[in-house]
Amino acid sequence: MMFDYGGIRAREARLGKKLGAKPVMLLFIVLIVAFLIMGGCLIFVHNSLCWVCFSLAILFGMIVYWTKQELVPVPVGKGGGLNDVLSNDLLAAMPRNPRPADLPAVILKTNSGQFMAVRYGISGQLLDALVRDLPENVGPIFEAALKIREGTDSEELDGAVLAAAIIASHPNHEAVLRQMRLEMKDVLDGVVWFNYLNGLVRSVGKREHSGGIARDLSFGYIPTLQRFGQNISMEQGGGPKTQIHQSAHKEIVEQMISIFSGGGRQNVALVGAEGSGRSTIVKAFAEILLNADSKLPSDLQFRQIFKLDAAAMISSAPERGQIEGLVMHILGEAFAAKNIIIWLDNAQLFFEDGVGSVDISNVLLPVIEAGRLRVIMTMDQQKFLEISARNSQLANALNKIQVPPANEEETMKVLQDQVPVLEYQHKVSYTIWALKEAYRLSAKYIHDLEMPGKALSLLDTAGEYASPSRLVTAESVQEAVEKTAGVKVSGGVTSDDDKSRLLNMEELIHQRMIDQVDAVKTVSDAMRRSAAGVRNESRPIGTFLFLGPTGVGKTELAKALSEVYFNGESHIVRVDLNEFVSGNDVSRLIADATEDEMSLTAQVLKQPFSVVLLDEIEKAHPQVLTTLLQMLDEGVLRDVRGREVSFRDTIVIATSNAGAERIREYVAAGKSLADVREEFLNYLLSPEYASSAAAAGMAAFRPEFLNRFDEVCLFKPLSPEDCLKVLDLIIKGVNKTLEPQKIAVEVTDDARELLVSAGYDPQLGARPMKRIVSKTVENLVAKAVLSGAASSGATITVTREMVEAEL
Amino acid sequence: MFMVDMLTWWYSRGWGVFVSGLKTRLRDSADFFSIGQLLRTLFKPYRQISAGTSGGGMSGFLDRLVSRIVGFFVRFFIIIFGAIALFVEVLVGVIMIVLWPTAPVLIIAGVVMTVMGVKL
Repeated sequence: MMFDYGGIRAREARLGKKLGAKPVMLLFIVLIVAFLIMGGCLIFVHNSLCWVCFSLAILFGMIVYWTKQELVPVPVGKGGGLNDVLSNDLLAAMPRNPRPADLPAVILKTNSGQFMAVRYGISGQLLDALVRDLPENVGPIFEAALKIREGTDSEELDGAVLAAAIIASHPNHEAVLRQMRLEMKDVLDGVVWFNYLNGLVRSVGKREHSGGIARDLSFGYIPTLQRFGQNISMEQGGGPKTQIHQSAHKEIVEQMISIFSGGGRQNVALVGAEGSGRSTIVKAFAEILLNADSKLPSDLQFRQIFKLDAAAMISSAPERGQIEGLVMHILGEAFAAKNIIIWLDNAQLFFEDGVGSVDISNVLLPVIEAGRLRVIMTMDQQKFLEISARNSQLANALNKIQVPPANEEETMKVLQDQVPVLEYQHKVSYTIWALKEAYRLSAKYIHDLEMPGKALSLLDTAGEYASPSRLVTAESVQEAVEKTAGVKVSGGVTSDDDKSRLLNMEELIHQRMIDQVDAVKTVSDAMRRSAAGVRNESRPIGTFLFLGPTGVGKTELAKALSEVYFNGESHIVRVDLNEFVSGNDVSRLIADATEDEMSLTAQVLKQPFSVVLLDEIEKAHPQVLTTLLQMLDEGVLRDVRGREVSFRDTIVIATSNAGAERIREYVAAGKSLADVREEFLNYLLSPEYASSAAAAGMAAFRPEFLNRFDEVCLFKPLSPEDCLKVLDLIIKGVNKTLEPQKIAVEVTDDARELLVSAGYDPQLGARPMKRIVSKTVENLVAKAVLSGAASSGATITVTREMVEAEL
Repeated sequence: MFMVDMLTWWYSRGWGVFVSGLKTRLRDSADFFSIGQLLRTLFKPYRQISAGTSGGGMSGFLDRLVSRIVGFFVRFFIIIFGAIALFVEVLVGVIMIVLWPTAPVLIIAGVVMTVMGVKL
């Protein structure tokens, strides 16, 4: 399989590149005109050179025609061989005897090659590196390219196909692509995407048959409709055609043609969520009707779709009687014109009274029932149900067609279709990772729209967050979500620094937490497993149940986890479940974000990358715990509006003091908590614990609840020695607070002992310690600062006597 | 090689390309003047002027008749105008098709006539 440098297509492509250049073409046309004028003038002066002038005009005319019709671009040959199918730009750039090492440079000279470089990161350097590992023979690469061309239904073998062939020919291409977060399928999709866009570009400028100047002579005038409506059909003309990528939507358009060309009720109600493509269907339908080449019944061809503007009508006719009169007039005009299809977008605006809406169902119903005027309505399912409940007669008179949302593949095709428009608007280039991220993040964080609308909307917004090189990347999309939806999505483990923090997690946590080595290790191991990708994406990052007495560091570990994993203690959503002790409290837990911004679902909606701390879980009502099961199991929780809130980027930590006495007994008996873990959990599930819990008015633990957690961590009570370390941490904290004033605090050993003895409580652990330090050390510092005894650079030494005086 | 390639195309695919281009232009012109649509609706009321205003009876019938007559004349003249445009286009096209093979010959003929000193 070799490239024929001297082949006719190759020669023509090289020639076409030179002759087809705009300045050359312009020069030739000027010469033609000049020779014709000169020839004409020479005729008048009876000079025989006029014939040469005419000859040259004909010669240049032939060259221009040949160039335009044959050389730019050279049409694909019929043979199917390599030279027959190579694209024009590849043919023109290919050297005489190409070697694999020559191909990257050639590919980058083509539009398709640059397309793959910008959008898929398949750069010249990458291709150079790949071809270095390939044999010197270029034949196998061309053979692979021909197969890819066939597999992707490409008309030509262009730079994108050749780039894909180089990748596919590399023995380790899967590993190379994995590093780029791509698969071979993505690269092949890129080839198809370029072909599609190239087809759109080629179709621009081709004349469309839309009926001509006298098309509407048989149809009536519509002055009022033109004032209050928007002619969708005329707006669609000219530019590239509206593409429908969902097979279900194609069927809907066919269904609409069938309904409007049949003898039944001449209306269609497109019912689907916002963003599911209802408007696109109507626009595509409008284009089909106005295309003279469409195979349509004659009474449907050249019909035009007008979208009624409810707001303009209401503002123009504020009184009830007036609006009804206006609507009757518009509908009468549309009917008399005989070529109008009325489109009521957000049709509920015409069937309910409210701000910007008016109930004119008494006017519309007879029109719809009579079926003489064609009407399209679009609305969402909820509104359709509401209208049905209010006016069943109207609902029964409508031909309802459900518009389903797009799946991932269809959404990606819609995004690829719309990218050129967005790129033109924002003057940027979108990468494939931006498209994928837009799908992924919009599915998670945009709740008011459906696919593909929400992914498209996010991609549009991301255009404003392009990199300095005007490239819209996955990070641009993340930034767009963070800025517009107010959620933090770029958290988690991404950089080398994050990975290093995870590897040293225990050490980092112990900088702020004393002891609890087993619990810290259990949590750290689980988090590392999760970060390494060994986790179920359909569940939270980690779910932990912390069991132990009060004041032993359960909440502190949750905070430490938030700091280490999410880079900040602020990424914590805390819910005290002792406030959810009755069954009715479930609705408060999952309240709508607009009604209660502190509900669990509202907080996670705003901050999906966070530690969710469910404190004192044993005090929650069993119904509350049942509600939380779904969250632990599937990583989602539905709020009261039925909206799904994702917990899949959270670490869920539930804390409980349940069985604290039993833990103390184990520790007092010198047993290791790791050894008695199973025994303790069995105790929590035993009737013995259930009865004691019931006596205290608390719910018993159920096995299905305990089993939902990834890990159950037991926290042992702190010893006085541990409390001394806690005290040191607290003093360290005081010193950190005083750092801006350049004042330091030192506590003598005997004062520390006194503070521990005063602050240690076997029941409350280290919890009173902070209060004691505040009451003694912090008070002493405050007095010293205010009295002027301590100024910048001073070190305050707190002695036992001073502490005694304060206690 | 350049001239050989061009002349090969001129006497093979080129001719067909020109004819198919002419067909496309004629189709575009026919669409521009709405010839087919006008023929189908030749006797329809002009812009439906009578449809919304006239009732039944003789008055309505006369209204529609006038509207149809107006419509007929408007359409008829557009058809005539379009037909003339199409005819001119066809005529030019046919002349070009006939002259197509002679174009390269005309170049040589022009040079020969200059050399021979033929004057007009």
